[in-house]
Amino acid sequence: MEDGHLFNNISLGGRGGTNPGQLRVHSGGILWKKQGGGKAVEVDKADVMDLTWMKVPRTNQLGVRTKDGLYYKFTGFRDQDVGSLTTFFQNTCGLIPKEKQLSVSGKNWGEVDLNGNMLSFLVGSKQAFEVSLADVAQTQLQGKNDVILEFHVDDTTGANEKDSLMEISFHIPNSNTQFVGDENHP
Amino acid sequence: GDNRTAAKTSSDLIAYRNANDLPPPREMMIQVDQKNEAILLPIYGSMVPFHVATVKTVSSQQDTNRNCYIRIIFNVPGTPFNPHDANSLKHQGAIYLKEVSFRSKDPRHISEVVQQIKTLRRNVVARESERAERAT
Repeated sequence: MEDGHLFNNISLGGRGGTNPGQLRVHSGGILWKKQGGGKAVEVDKADVMDLTWMKVPRTNQLGVRTKDGLYYKFTGFRDQDVGSLTTFFQNTCGLIPKEKQLSVSGKNWGEVDLNGNMLSFLVGSKQAFEVSLADVAQTQLQGKNDVILEFHVDDTTGANEKDSLMEISFHIPNSNTQFVGDENHP
Repeated sequence: GDNRTAAKTSSDLIAYRNANDLPPPREMMIQVDQKNEAILLPIYGSMVPFHVATVKTVSSQQDTNRNCYIRIIFNVPGTPFNPHDANSLKHQGAIYLKEVSFRSKDPRHISEVVQQIKTLRRNVVARESERAERAT
């Protein structure tokens, strides 16, 4: 691996679902190209702020957070890729990817964690899901205890999912003292 | 004491123990996994499971532009029909996912999903309340 690794069948996940593509990790950074052309994502290694690995059903997911506050999720790495890429990132970027765990227990109570513009819902400190606050069109406070996030209607960027998330709301019981006030929700 | 009635309550139900137990990835759409009593919701490119016992109601609606919407409301503590119980007190400090709504391109799929969730939920709730009754 003089200058990088090429991975086929790596999908980029986001608001509109997932798009299949190809990922190249090289000494200068990361380049992902959508299958059949179109969208590409390029991250210079100097712009990588942190990296995460998460085991997801049947495969592995790489999270890349940039210094500009962008966050990319690439899915489709085999277990053996995780080891070799971890070494590669360590040598080229000087970063050791952190390990995140996925919650699949199916519970609807946990914690909310805000990091940059990502909101993660954690169950037993494992991640159940995350959404980007950059896609939130508006937030509403309903009563004293409920926060509603409404997402932009996205008709343009080739959403390839059949069902699209429009709205999500969280209930924060009075007993919760972590989110008094609303300054965390833009 | 109360410890004798430690019947399995709905909030002890677990959908999956392991990420690889989830059904194989299919199209990004709401799915119902009868075997594991779970619903799977497409959120940001991932299929996110919820045990059907966490669901309070599910409904769908169609607008004039033939857009179809599905709304799922989850159980949260402190509402008139779901007062604070030992379990919600145990989870003090927790934040609850209360509601999600999705727009779908496929009304037939949505009405199927609504029916499946309702039936599965009814069966699981009936079974759990029977179990709780037997335990007392």
